[in-house]
Amino acid sequence: MNALARRAAGLLLSTVCLPLSALAADPQPTHEFTLDNGLKVVVREDHRAPVVVSQVWYKVGSSYETPGQTGLSHALEHMMFKGSEKVGPGEASLILRDLGAEENAFTSDDFTAYYQVLARDRLGVAFELEADRMANLRLPADEFAKEIEVIKEERRLRTDDKPMAKAFERYKAMAYPASGYHTPTIGWMADLERMKVEELRHWYQSWYVPNNATLVVVGDVTPDEVKTLAQRYFGPIPKRDVPPAKKPLELAEPGERQITLHVQTQLPSLMLGFNVPSIATAEDKRSVNALRLISALLDGGYSGRIPTQLERGEELVSGGSSSYDAYTRGDSLFTLSATPNTQKKKTMAQAEAGLWKLLEQLKTTAPSAEELERVRAQVIAGLVFERDSITSQATAIGQLETVGLSWKLMDTELADLESVTPQDIQNAAKLYFTRERLSVAHVLPLETTHE
Amino acid sequence: MSERKTPRLLLGLIAVAIIASAAFYLVPSDNTKASEALDNAKSSQKLQSLAELDGKAPASRKLDVQTWNTAEGAKVLFVEARELPMFDMRLIFSAGSSQDGNAPGLALLTNAMLNEGVAGKDVGAIAQGFEGLGADFGNGAYKDMAIASLRSLSAADKREPALKLFSEVVGKPTFPADSFARIKNQMLAGFEYQKQNPGKLASLELMKRLYGDHPYAHASDGNAQSVPKITLAQLREFHAKAYAAGNVVIALVGDLSRSEAEAIANQVSAALPKGPALAKVEQPIEPKAGIGHIEFPSKQTNLMIAQLGIDRDDPDYAALSMGNQILGGGGFGTRLMSEVREKRGLTYGVYSAFSPMQARGPFMINLQTRAEMSEGTLKLVQDVLADYLKTGPTQKELDDAKRELAGSFPLSTASNADIVGQLGAMGFYNLPLNYLDDFMRQSQSLTVEQVRDVLNKHLSTDKLVIVSAGPTVPQKPLPAPSDKPAEQPLGVPEH
Repeated sequence: MNALARRAAGLLLSTVCLPLSALAADPQPTHEFTLDNGLKVVVREDHRAPVVVSQVWYKVGSSYETPGQTGLSHALEHMMFKGSEKVGPGEASLILRDLGAEENAFTSDDFTAYYQVLARDRLGVAFELEADRMANLRLPADEFAKEIEVIKEERRLRTDDKPMAKAFERYKAMAYPASGYHTPTIGWMADLERMKVEELRHWYQSWYVPNNATLVVVGDVTPDEVKTLAQRYFGPIPKRDVPPAKKPLELAEPGERQITLHVQTQLPSLMLGFNVPSIATAEDKRSVNALRLISALLDGGYSGRIPTQLERGEELVSGGSSSYDAYTRGDSLFTLSATPNTQKKKTMAQAEAGLWKLLEQLKTTAPSAEELERVRAQVIAGLVFERDSITSQATAIGQLETVGLSWKLMDTELADLESVTPQDIQNAAKLYFTRERLSVAHVLPLETTHE
Repeated sequence: MSERKTPRLLLGLIAVAIIASAAFYLVPSDNTKASEALDNAKSSQKLQSLAELDGKAPASRKLDVQTWNTAEGAKVLFVEARELPMFDMRLIFSAGSSQDGNAPGLALLTNAMLNEGVAGKDVGAIAQGFEGLGADFGNGAYKDMAIASLRSLSAADKREPALKLFSEVVGKPTFPADSFARIKNQMLAGFEYQKQNPGKLASLELMKRLYGDHPYAHASDGNAQSVPKITLAQLREFHAKAYAAGNVVIALVGDLSRSEAEAIANQVSAALPKGPALAKVEQPIEPKAGIGHIEFPSKQTNLMIAQLGIDRDDPDYAALSMGNQILGGGGFGTRLMSEVREKRGLTYGVYSAFSPMQARGPFMINLQTRAEMSEGTLKLVQDVLADYLKTGPTQKELDDAKRELAGSFPLSTASNADIVGQLGAMGFYNLPLNYLDDFMRQSQSLTVEQVRDVLNKHLSTDKLVIVSAGPTVPQKPLPAPSDKPAEQPLGVPEH
């Protein structure tokens, strides 16, 4: 996986290093404007080095897909490299490489994004190529016929043959009974088998319009020059209505669910997930911010409760983590996972009980002031560290904008987290960590099927 | 051990939610070369933005690299960067696994144990100490180097306590026995995992064949036999000599004045054991050419084709690096990629690289291919290499590689994290302060003949050490080269 995708994955995971902007330093000048065709542009100036990152984010991803058509967003992302009016299949990538640029794309539940990192004088090339495929993608049938085979192979190798990836896909499908979040981004194999290039063309025409996209530029540029370039290349693309996009809403309390999977792995592991809201769907934002703090308390670094109590203290688990993504378009999940410490002969049941003990602790005992201060320090430092990478900054901005929030949310993050009281944390733990919201996945090595 | 010590099981899990596609790596190519694409695009005038580029190499961040030695003999490299209120420090000790002696794994275990205990603090208290300041501690051990790093806010109330703790961790670790047992267990679990990874097995075997009795032969994490035998006394002894102030390079980048940087370097240097630099690793002897095979029930066969390359001081580095870029260092359009992937669909990716180290590091070509084609593919790769050594690059290939290098150069020093990495390598390998600019200048002035001659000076098809890992199956002949290969390669590249 490329660096940006790793970063993006980190963003989804991380509760501490939130994509926030500055506190200890003056905020970097950030500007936003919208072209007449509805393309939203966010420019952040970072003049440390003569380089720039350009990202185009489309508000479409696997959570927008319907049964039978899963995998469309990701397949379309692949086809975006197969030629547009001005360039043939693969040609844009070769041009960019020859200019010394880095480029790639990524697809998720809520978004599809494309990026280039390059010397600042080449930004126009990135814009022209990106604008051309926003407006005039070719989608040739023969290229699609080849590419869908590549995607099927990608699914076999990255999901079906990767035990933990496969387990996570099945767990998600169970944990989101009502919303599009149960759809795997790469798509179910049966749907890849019957996908038609016409469906992709329709998907492209429906969602790939300037008024459904955000252009994020971070680097050694001025807002004026970006505006001129953006107007020149993206300005002529006509606006078009997009289908209504509804937030993926979940059942609050779907009932307890459990799945047992036997996969080609050497070590067993388990996941516990609770259906919870996100910033975008919660009526009470304090409870969401409390969940973010809880995740930081459990897993915010090597001094978190999971590493301290379960990994090192009782040596119950050889690895464990918590994850909560508050920045989704719809409802979210709070997930804990762990691998029992088999070297110490610890069982799944013991590891599961260990995780529950931590959750019960949160319901009954307020965290210490020292513990909360530690989380706060990490958040503040994370805000600054984040700014060392122009790609991280652009990704944070793009993700917030694309899930229906504003990049300006970055500025209020710390205040939002600081407003959470110890009582809020206990309330959130009691409200959300219940059996009615719970999904459990047990992932076991294949041998145990013989039992 | 990894830079980030907390295991992140879910990171791997959630990563699947975002699919980073390298769609352009998957292009069944019509044999277009990058340069041709650019030329065509320019001549057809379809891309206005390209026509408007002036063809000049882009500017890059100007670095004012300062250097000095501390009283205890540590070499310091510093770049002042006041834009963000933070700093990065990286300590590079000549304390990698090439210093293991007869205890493979010793260097890595010592490094992994640094932050497990200091006087009055256990591993949890150390983690709380750094994290309570918002500081990041990192460590890692490789063949030549062992690293300890710190990233912190530059404000004095954060910086000073972070540095104090960091100095204790690198200079006065207590190596507690309970942590030692836990980390050994983790390493043993890792060896179990390795057994399922044919690529890892092939690379272990290759290094053995390439280096024989040389310290580069064994893996940095040792093996299931060596690790259990290592004692705490060995760790203490190793720390006392290999983490000595005379054996470290301190790279510093960030929001610091020169005098603040000096004070920091002095503080860290004074906290380390006293002692000189360790002797450099001796050069390896030429290995015996030949082929080894590891039987493994996989669909694909891993192929590794190698010989001894160069050390980091070698004056031919720029020319070899350029020559390699054209052979198989880039993505599409390299000699290897064009013949093996684009014309015949035998692999998703084939790459070649020099890894210059303190002593001669490997030159290596690696790829995965369908098991029933593995013998033909291996022969093809050898033929491509032989042909390239004979003719050298074309003028056009060289011009294109120069342009790409010039274009990507500004990206290599864009962030503080990039710069501290560059400083560390420059300091550790004793490169001059203007190394990056020199490297660019040298690269841009190379001729076709220079590149060809230097490649032939260092590489020879008679010297190849080859390892394959995969199943033994009846072999099929290779398809004829074509613009439209019939079969798609198996596998997806890891990008």
